[in-house]
Amino acid sequence: MSGKVPEFGRFAEPSLLILVSLSDGPKHGYAIMQDVESGTGRPMGAGTLYAALVRLEELGLVEALPPEERRRPYRLTAVGASNLAEQLRGLSSFAQQGLRQLGEHQP
Amino acid sequence: MRSLLIRCYPARWRARYGEEFALVLGDRPLGPFDVADVLLGALDAHLHLRGLGAASIHGKGFAMTLRIGGYAAILGGLLWFIALAGNAINDGAETGAGWILIALLAAIVATLVALIGLSAFQARRHPVLVWAAFAVPAVGAVVSLFGALAMAASGDSARAIIGGLSGWAISTLGVTGLVIGSGLFALATLRARVLSRGAAALLGVGSIVVVLGLAGVTGGLLPSGLEGGVIVAMVLMFPAGWAGLGVSALRTERAGMPHFEGAIP
Repeated sequence: MSGKVPEFGRFAEPSLLILVSLSDGPKHGYAIMQDVESGTGRPMGAGTLYAALVRLEELGLVEALPPEERRRPYRLTAVGASNLAEQLRGLSSFAQQGLRQLGEHQP
Repeated sequence: MRSLLIRCYPARWRARYGEEFALVLGDRPLGPFDVADVLLGALDAHLHLRGLGAASIHGKGFAMTLRIGGYAAILGGLLWFIALAGNAINDGAETGAGWILIALLAAIVATLVALIGLSAFQARRHPVLVWAAFAVPAVGAVVSLFGALAMAASGDSARAIIGGLSGWAISTLGVTGLVIGSGLFALATLRARVLSRGAAALLGVGSIVVVLGLAGVTGGLLPSGLEGGVIVAMVLMFPAGWAGLGVSALRTERAGMPHFEGAIP
């Protein structure tokens, strides 16, 4: 299922990072933050994390699971996975085009 | 500190996310970046719960400041008209001075709110210029309100409060600063090219006329033939300038700010 990529404004990048983080399985908030930081080398604040999570949950791209030891994990929904795939394909095409214009080639 | 930060979030948000959020905050030490991030998140949560949906926080947040600033500027314009016209008609008489003072104080508060809202919107493109132009009238507004409070608290407008200055003198200085600062704000608005340049020009000229009018009337500096004309211009131009900026702000907000959206990097 594909559709218009939702507008997240200044939370677009955090939202994408969260979706990627959840793509390999459910995680709670702190685990998402650690995963994003290890992948990007930049910290993600708790305020930013939850602002993006609220939006993602409202749009049905992620869903909250029952709490485990008071921590609530989130997982990617089917719609979320589809949306993420569409975004990543778009970014990949954009990156390929950019690299071609720079005169580099990627296999 | 953590519980205090969480309290900044709306109650409805805390009911849903509060417990897990508290655990996340407790997972590592809070530095200045983390505190700022949480406070911004709290602001976002408040705005988000007011029906902003998944749209850009910047877009909708600035729409709100524009709307608030617009209404405040229109209200301020009306109150300035009442205060200035009332002062001109009353001609310094004691009777009726009370409601004129109330109108003036309300105008100052409305202008301060308008300055905050409109500056926040315009500063997106020209931050240094706009915030510098905001500082002068804002300080003037605060000083004038302080002077008015001092008068009310002491019950004597002529009593010296600070540095030999009475509450009346402090308030007058503040209003003068506010008016001069409004002229600077008008100049910044002309440079920023975001809101109505016509209204900005009217406000700028009106600020000059108000200062001239007040100096001329109180200091007897103006020739008697010019005094009437300056007073009429003062009563009309300055309020009309603020009201015009307010209308421009509301029109921009309702139009969806297409030119503004294009400016967001």
